[in-house]
Amino acid sequence: MSKVKTHKVIGARSTRLAIIFFIFILLLSMQFDPYNQYQLANISTLLIAVLSITLLTGASGQISLGQGAIMAVGGYSSALLVTKLGLSMWIAFVLAIFVSALFGLFLGLAAARLSGPYLAGTTLVMALAIPSVAIRFESLFGGDIGFTVDYGYPPNWLTNLIGEISIEEWSLYVALPFAALSLFAVLNLSNTRSGRTWRAVRDNEVAAALAGINIARTKVIAFVCASALAGLAGAIYGFRGLVGPSVYSTDLSLLLLTAAVIGGLRSIGGAIFGTFVIVFLPDVIERITKALALPETISNYLPALLIGFLLLLTVIFNPRGSAGALEHIRHARHSHKH
Amino acid sequence: MDSFLTAFFSGTSQGAIYALVSLGLVLVWRGAGVVNFAQMGQAMFTTYIASQLIQNDYSYWSAFVIALVSGAILGAIVDLGLMRPLTSRKNSQLLNSQSMRTTIPVIASLGILGVLKAVAGILWAGEERGFPSPIAANALTIGDTTLAITGFDLFVIGVVFVTLVLTTIFFTRTGMGLAMRASALNPEVTRLSGIRVGSVRTLSWAISGTASSLAGLLVTPKTNLSPNTLDLLLIVGFTAAVVGGLNSLAGSVLGGFIVGYVIAFVNVYSAPENVFLAILVFLLLALFIRPQGILGSKEVRRV
Amino acid sequence: MLIISNLVTEFASIKALNDISFQAKPGCITTVIGANGAGKSTLLRTISGLERPTSGSIKWFDEELTHKSVESIVRSGIAQVPEGHAVISQLSVAENIELGGLFRKRIARGDLAIATKEVYELFPILFERRREPAGSLSGGERQMLAISRALVSRPKLLLLDEPSLGLAPLISAQIISTVNELCKSTGLTVLLVEQNANTALAVADHGILLALGKVIANLPAKELIADSSLRAAYLGY
Ligand SMILES: Nc1ncnc2c1ncn2[C@@H]1O[C@H](COP(=O)(O)OP(=O)(O)OP(=O)(O)O)[C@@H](O)[C@H]1O
Ligand SMILES: [Mg+2]
Repeated sequence: MSKVKTHKVIGARSTRLAIIFFIFILLLSMQFDPYNQYQLANISTLLIAVLSITLLTGASGQISLGQGAIMAVGGYSSALLVTKLGLSMWIAFVLAIFVSALFGLFLGLAAARLSGPYLAGTTLVMALAIPSVAIRFESLFGGDIGFTVDYGYPPNWLTNLIGEISIEEWSLYVALPFAALSLFAVLNLSNTRSGRTWRAVRDNEVAAALAGINIARTKVIAFVCASALAGLAGAIYGFRGLVGPSVYSTDLSLLLLTAAVIGGLRSIGGAIFGTFVIVFLPDVIERITKALALPETISNYLPALLIGFLLLLTVIFNPRGSAGALEHIRHARHSHKH
Repeated sequence: MDSFLTAFFSGTSQGAIYALVSLGLVLVWRGAGVVNFAQMGQAMFTTYIASQLIQNDYSYWSAFVIALVSGAILGAIVDLGLMRPLTSRKNSQLLNSQSMRTTIPVIASLGILGVLKAVAGILWAGEERGFPSPIAANALTIGDTTLAITGFDLFVIGVVFVTLVLTTIFFTRTGMGLAMRASALNPEVTRLSGIRVGSVRTLSWAISGTASSLAGLLVTPKTNLSPNTLDLLLIVGFTAAVVGGLNSLAGSVLGGFIVGYVIAFVNVYSAPENVFLAILVFLLLALFIRPQGILGSKEVRRV
Repeated sequence: MLIISNLVTEFASIKALNDISFQAKPGCITTVIGANGAGKSTLLRTISGLERPTSGSIKWFDEELTHKSVESIVRSGIAQVPEGHAVISQLSVAENIELGGLFRKRIARGDLAIATKEVYELFPILFERRREPAGSLSGGERQMLAISRALVSRPKLLLLDEPSLGLAPLISAQIISTVNELCKSTGLTVLLVEQNANTALAVADHGILLALGKVIANLPAKELIADSSLRAAYLGY
């Protein structure tokens, strides 16, 4: 009885948080110029992918350096469904979730046998093999370049409702609901029994096994859930204009990991923060380099340098990420009062 | 027949380089429980140092030696400055989690990789540059027949062969080598034997740094040098290490040559763009059929 | 002389050693007995530096060991044979023995050869099987190897953690009597941990009974053997 009750409360809390996120981004977009609205769309899309890492690495303890590759699975499958079969974008997105979940199932079956660095290396190889696959099956995947897809035009009922909207706004309206839904799903998941099971496996496999948890199955399920999210993110990301190897690069995989790490691998709020950082950081850097009139040789590499340093500083000083730091401060204040 | 020989010789000389990379990875994995994703970033950096020295009119060989030494120093710095404090941190809630203990060093090594690449890019501009070889890369001839192997290939094979022999002697015949093997297998008993396991660990980072630095020097005459050129080498080396056995030094060398041949034959008989696919398939096959690697043993695989 | 005063070692929630004080005299065997979880291994591990004490001190004659690293404690002549036949099974028998004396290679190369010869004389079976991997040895042989690894470092204090664990009574008696002879002939100090009180106390000069991290009795070994009520209360036999 009491269990059911807590579930309901948790459900209410995650609904509330997801709605708050949704409204917050909408309000923010109204203050923004089209370029930054587009960046908000990117944030909403990439947040889904970062959440997949929060789920996979933060909650179940499996590290993936190739989330970009799973995004590619979602991107290519939805794009193919739309261009070859003429399905609607929305249906394609939903199907992309299933396709990448299936892919995640296979990958997870392999991954369940691997631990830590084996998994990291294998997923990295996978990410690097995407261009190879795209070229090998050029007739299907469009080779080196890929193929173009887009969000199309906003439907009439929407424009009738709120008037003409720009492409940038439309891309945000496509991505944001999915982001809010993913946020809702991940918030719920980490508070349920399976979330707790995952954490047990993450922290001590032997103890978890002794407690009767099926380790392999737990890991595979986590992989499937994370892949579903990453695939969805990949589908939305590709429909910004291009589905191709250059979109789902290794750099993207590492960037997503960076976002999850600097925000705090175990925190959903951290995932949101980290996503903001990686999306807006290049803009900030560009402004700085312009202001300081830095030569191009430096400004080209400055984002990579900063991101590398952010990763290092995080693991050295604050391995729980910014979310951990926040909690720390809150704790300090709390105990100060007493 | 001709293309077979071409593939065989290029497989041997490339495989020799992969063997070095994979040896470097396995050394650090066994010695410190970390797969160092920054390894080839370190090698890229030291190759740039050598390239800079050669541009400043140093001889090839002095640049060669300095690069190897800086490889060792860089490896030791990574351990002393980052990995050791990270893994020895006590009372960290995060590090009490089993999976995080392996995840955090991986993330740290990715951070180093990013920083090294960016710094190399800033210091030495982004564009590719060539890197000299001490021996011309012309096909060798005997009388009138042209062989499928170049002088440079022979040089690579020779250098790696000597390195591997020296490494083997070091590990099997010297006390330090014994200490390194022992601390990888059982740190507690090794410490109880009065051996400073921490220093031994730093030494494995340094040797690994030297091996990968050597790989960088040997591979760049063919691939040119840019901050990203050696990324592929890391992946190939990782595959080689997994194929051979991540906890077996001999296995890592064997794996290097096997992967070298696989790549060379795919290159010659199929198409170069299939190489990555081949690596991925090969890696997955290896993981499914024999996850501990050809020469690896199951019980000592770290979790 | 090993002097332990007010030693406390804590793990997350429990005090595995709770205010322990005793002394072990040179040239003697001091036996520590106690039930499972009494803190015997923790005591030895704290002395050799593998565990950090929360408070208290450990002194070897005038030398303060309390905050030294394992490596320097071993180098000052204190060798531990950990619980459970701790040898490195992938290394050969000879390599395991070599490992024990490795740190003395530069300072006493000549003596190292002698010490190695001596342990082979002590345990001839090890010499016969010196080229085989330690993993192929039987339990008793492995225990001999673990002791040999400790002995080649020419320790002044030997910490033995349940050498008879899992061995046939005959073999464990043989091992313990070997240690006893060594003690008498070389003046080695031994701190011997055992669960089976009889054989271990028989050779000992002094006996210490440990329960729940506390010293319950600290008596000449003969008196401890004789005190059947203590044994019944704390060891159950
Ligand atoms: N690393 C550790 N972490 C947490 N608790 C520990 C650790 N090592 C020992 N303990 C606890 O300390 C107590 C004493 O353990 P110790 O191993 O010293 O017992 P022991 O007397 O050697 O027992 P046995 O005869 O079974 O070997 C036990 O309650 C044990 O659970
Ligand atoms: Mg014990």
